[in-house]
Amino acid sequence: MVSKSGLSRRSFLGMGAAALATPALLAGCSKGGGSAGGGGGGSTEPLKFWNMPWGQTKFNPLDEQITKAYKPAEGMPPVSYQVIQWANFNQTFASAVASRTNPAVSSGGGTQVFQFEAQGGIAYADDLYATWKENGLYDDFLPGLIDTLKVEKGYAAIPYNLDMRVLWYNKALLEQVGAKVPTDWQSFMDAAAELKKNNIYGYGTGAGAGAYTGQHALVCWMINNGGGLFDENKQPNCVTPENIEAVDFILEMVSKGYVDPASSTYTSDNVQSQWKAKKFGMGFDTGGLAANVSGDVSKDLEVMSPLSSPSGKKGALYFPNNIMMYANNPNKKGTEAFLTYYYQNMAPLWTQNTGIGLPPLKSISQTKEFQANKNNVKIIEEWQPISKTWAAPGTEANFLNVTTVDATPAMNVFTQSILGGKTDSKTALQKLQDEVKTNLK
Amino acid sequence: MSTRTAGEGLTRARKGVAVAGPGTPGGRRVTQRPGASRLTLFAFAAPALFLLVLLNVYPLLYAAYQSLRDGSLIAAGDFVGLENYTKVLVDPAFWAAARFTVIFTLVGVFGSWFLGLALAILLKTRIPGKTVFRVLLLLPWVVPVVVSATAWNWLVATPQSPMPRLAEALGLGNVLFLANPVLAQVTVCVFKVWISFPFMMMMMAAALESVDNNVYEAAKVDGASRWNELTNITLPMISRSTYISWILMTIFCVNDFPTIYLLTGGGPVNATQSLVVLAYNTVFQNFRTGPGVAVAFLMTLVLVVISVVLYRQIRKVQIL
Repeated sequence: MVSKSGLSRRSFLGMGAAALATPALLAGCSKGGGSAGGGGGGSTEPLKFWNMPWGQTKFNPLDEQITKAYKPAEGMPPVSYQVIQWANFNQTFASAVASRTNPAVSSGGGTQVFQFEAQGGIAYADDLYATWKENGLYDDFLPGLIDTLKVEKGYAAIPYNLDMRVLWYNKALLEQVGAKVPTDWQSFMDAAAELKKNNIYGYGTGAGAGAYTGQHALVCWMINNGGGLFDENKQPNCVTPENIEAVDFILEMVSKGYVDPASSTYTSDNVQSQWKAKKFGMGFDTGGLAANVSGDVSKDLEVMSPLSSPSGKKGALYFPNNIMMYANNPNKKGTEAFLTYYYQNMAPLWTQNTGIGLPPLKSISQTKEFQANKNNVKIIEEWQPISKTWAAPGTEANFLNVTTVDATPAMNVFTQSILGGKTDSKTALQKLQDEVKTNLK
Repeated sequence: MSTRTAGEGLTRARKGVAVAGPGTPGGRRVTQRPGASRLTLFAFAAPALFLLVLLNVYPLLYAAYQSLRDGSLIAAGDFVGLENYTKVLVDPAFWAAARFTVIFTLVGVFGSWFLGLALAILLKTRIPGKTVFRVLLLLPWVVPVVVSATAWNWLVATPQSPMPRLAEALGLGNVLFLANPVLAQVTVCVFKVWISFPFMMMMMAAALESVDNNVYEAAKVDGASRWNELTNITLPMISRSTYISWILMTIFCVNDFPTIYLLTGGGPVNATQSLVVLAYNTVFQNFRTGPGVAVAFLMTLVLVVISVVLYRQIRKVQIL
């Protein structure tokens, strides 16, 4: 027998409540309004310094040691240290700023400062730079670096480490096939053709879950050719002859089989395992590739000199990661005092090879420990001077709307469609531009 | 005063009607609770009610508020009315994600149910090492999904991974399990079935325990085949548990974020992007809270409808 009874109101509400879990989970993702301004008082409560795991396992313990060795001057607050994991870091910082539980000072994603600055959540570093001009620290920064963080109202943050994208090659694999180290796009293509004869992919890359280097690499090729994603008015301008030429170059490599067909879904681990398996012969990656790959292959990995593009220009994408001070700050003067100490004493993070990106200070890059790594020296000497930010080719300094391309779904889809080889350059670039325009702030 | 037989009373009780009949029972004393007692009852319930409102209702209302504004992760933004919903509904990415969500849910629910039921029936028979099998079969459900996803990535991601090598050895060529959009969808769905079937197996095993063996014995006496036993006895008698497990698994599948995100990130080229992944990407990667929450609300609406339909089925199959 079957009961004809229908659904009770209680049952309906019960089912609804169960199903409504999803939007509720997303509910806490933005603040109720207003901005995290104010602050800057004279509290002597410990200042919170949040730093990310920038290097290998020894990075944060050493960083904490440096932080805790800080002895504040009379009347200045001490500093507490907290490691913030990369997983969901956007939510971590956004929630903290929204709930006004943010740290006094932190590092973080390379472009997150522009989001917080646009909402009035950042304390500008102009006063700090004024003091650093007096003690020589200001002049110690690598050329052009400080200006990458300049916004309309002042300096939004302080450069901390350089996340570079450079071309690597496996010296042994190139020698095996008798190929020369490329110097321009044509010789890169020729070397890839030689490598293919040994079943080695000439252009190693990856754009899978959580792997953004593949996106960066595509923009590297564009910038190398004098292109990029934004114009001088800070508006997306993707469909340019320089960009089309760069994307066509990649599509040609895809069609000729110089790119691993599974690249579009490779995670960073997959990419590194392909380098380790000697399946990748050349490709863009971070400055830390050799250290990350490790094993006997790492000694064969060398950084190439920047290629000359068809336009005759040189360039690549880089990320001046930074340290920012927050407007909601119990003691801005105390924060500046700590940062002065920190920048004067942070050299061991590089000299002890903790795996952090390249240093922002000339004095650190000139230490004998740093000079011992010829790849790092090459990156600082040859790649840093020609590298540009997401803002290229229009401007030098980053700005809020670069967050529409920095590790976004639009860039991911663009990259995966190129690496899949089932599109043409104009269509893909136009689609990217449309998507970026939709997401402009 | 009417008198009822025991049989009538039992039937009414099964139908959910009080034995004494609807309305105020004859001869029953109606006592008014004094005001102080109601207050006491409310006082006891207040902490739970407060927590319920705080943890469920407030976030829900706030999410609704966000879906009507053009906000970001750190700013509430301007009021835009239903604009976020209309934009989302004309976005091809939303419909592509909805399509994949349907596929993912159908395969996830029925794939895991079929496998779980088959194993539950198998484990009901006398097979050696049954307890060990039962524990081993639970592992995909017990192991954290981040570990499972890493293991599956290792199995299928690169041409040197075991599965592509096996496919090549079988003469299937270079099979791109994650890079080919269709195969990526298949792989994600199979992964979902793999991590979900132990839950279904447990649900079905519990339901099978409730079926009286005498029914099977009577059926055998009547000459019923194994297939007849399955279709005419087992499935009808476990149908309530089946519908409940379908409702739960539907909710699990539609809301499943880690399975997809960890294995493919929604790629390649959004081929495996479900609605919940789209909502996440919109909010946390494009920093557009309003449209992201609107996607989540639309998804929820569909989920409520599906749940209600399935729940009605449960009531219909109530066996008296």
